[in-house]
Amino acid sequence: MTTEDLSILGLTLRVAAISTLLILPLGLAAAWALARWKGRGRAIVETVLSLPLVLPPTAVGLVLLELLRRSGPLGRLLDRSGLELLFTWKAVVLATAVMSFPLLVRPARGAFEEIDPRLLGLARSLGRRPATVFVRVALPLAWRGIATGIVLAFSRALGEFGATILVAGSIPGRTRTLALAIFHRTQIGQDGAAMRLVLLTVVLAFFTVWTSEILSRRRERQLRA
Amino acid sequence: MISILLRLPLAGFRLEVDVRLDAPAIAVLGPSGAGKTSLLESIAGLRRVAQGRITIDEEVVLDTAAGVRLRPERRRIGWVPQDALLFPHLDVEGNVRFGERAGGAKQSFREAVEILEIGPLLQRSPANLSGGERQRVALARALASEPRVLLLDEPLAAVDVELKSRILPYLLRIRDEARIPMLYVTHNAGEAETLAGEALLLRAGRVEAHGPTRDVIAEKMWAAIDPRARFENIVEGKLGASDGSSPAELRLPGGVGLTVPAAGESPGRAVFAVAPDDILLSAEPLTRVSARNVLAGRVLSIELSGGDAMVRAEAAGITWRALVTAAAVRDLGLAAGSPVWLAIKTQSFKRLR
Repeated sequence: MTTEDLSILGLTLRVAAISTLLILPLGLAAAWALARWKGRGRAIVETVLSLPLVLPPTAVGLVLLELLRRSGPLGRLLDRSGLELLFTWKAVVLATAVMSFPLLVRPARGAFEEIDPRLLGLARSLGRRPATVFVRVALPLAWRGIATGIVLAFSRALGEFGATILVAGSIPGRTRTLALAIFHRTQIGQDGAAMRLVLLTVVLAFFTVWTSEILSRRRERQLRA
Repeated sequence: MISILLRLPLAGFRLEVDVRLDAPAIAVLGPSGAGKTSLLESIAGLRRVAQGRITIDEEVVLDTAAGVRLRPERRRIGWVPQDALLFPHLDVEGNVRFGERAGGAKQSFREAVEILEIGPLLQRSPANLSGGERQRVALARALASEPRVLLLDEPLAAVDVELKSRILPYLLRIRDEARIPMLYVTHNAGEAETLAGEALLLRAGRVEAHGPTRDVIAEKMWAAIDPRARFENIVEGKLGASDGSSPAELRLPGGVGLTVPAAGESPGRAVFAVAPDDILLSAEPLTRVSARNVLAGRVLSIELSGGDAMVRAEAAGITWRALVTAAAVRDLGLAAGSPVWLAIKTQSFKRLR
């Protein structure tokens, strides 16, 4: 394990964590809204939100790139506010956030939908405002689905490649995450060094999923006890 | 005082109610699917499409014409649904405290726990409660939120529920001690008469009858409307102490004493049920008979259905229902107004709590 390996790991973890934290409030709000909204247009919104799941990541990356380039609609806004985004670690965060968003929303929405709406109505009739009901009833009851979503989103962020390389490039020490570094090393013939990173990702993925399994089992036991 | 003017589309029909309810306790009767639950949910503010005007103690909680639709959290209504709907992620104490008001009376939690006798259950999870316990916790939770009105939906299985799971004794305490007005959905005529002076009979979304409970139940042939209806004699009184082997005395509010099974460890206020077919009728005074309770009374009405006759009779300040054969009624020459003697064995009194 070299210091370069470790710094790549550090960058990847940091980016994945920030991206997951960033989409958490937005994703939960979207999941909650979709679960409670029975009106028309719901299917379309759901489809649009799920697009990053089915599109090639490079396609999503290109769309982001077009939006964010200096002459693009969002790029102009960014330029004016003096925020440099493209080809920085922030661009990596953005790319992973967009790609992992639907993976957080889907399981969370499913978990919210399983809550008996009468239970939420009852909580309100006990004098609690909707926001309080969300925090004290909906969140704890949907905990398992939300945890699954967080794990999926975080794992996806760890391995994001296609969208990242388009908006952030593969700049050593700045935007080269694990997935990008593995690709880069095989390209320059350092298969052994790439393999070390592969092992790192395996360990990382294993602990992420394992931790979530343990947490959700403990929660299940609590609810059943 | 609750006044309700309500229109609510339901599957197959429309709920249309226009009533003013005054009694401290009101029984809501009617067959399954008549709209009883929807009525309660509309009052609680949980039916968004409800149209009309509802006031509670002069406060308008719904007035669609004026654009008023008070949010459920502002209505201060204690809703207890059929399936109790406890929060599965909270223990019993967490459930009961959920609705505690920030500026509310500090003793409301204690009082709710005491009235519903759930002290020993506080640390339990809802998954480990029996049906009756769950219902009591749901009631305590509603009470602790200091509601202006309680809306109670009879538990689904209540018609055949075990004696110790019956919720009625607790409702009587809430009515008399906590003094919170309540609407109680029930299929049990005896419970309705005991608890509520006023009753509302719903059928296919319409108010079929509204008035004093005994009139609604007797005159409108409630049994014919609600196939799940259950008639039961419910007596409430003060139970004297006994050593646990000999029978105890239940003193009725009117002063008459009844002989009932041994009190065990809990004398004091008690509620008993007697099945209508456990009461023997006689057209002459009974003197030498094994039944420990013989009451002189008067027939109020007789309802015939097939070979059976439901005889309503007044005795010891209580309206009793006795189920006998139509032939027996004929042989005894019973009719409304005629004197009658009721014989009830000690063991026919089943204690509800």
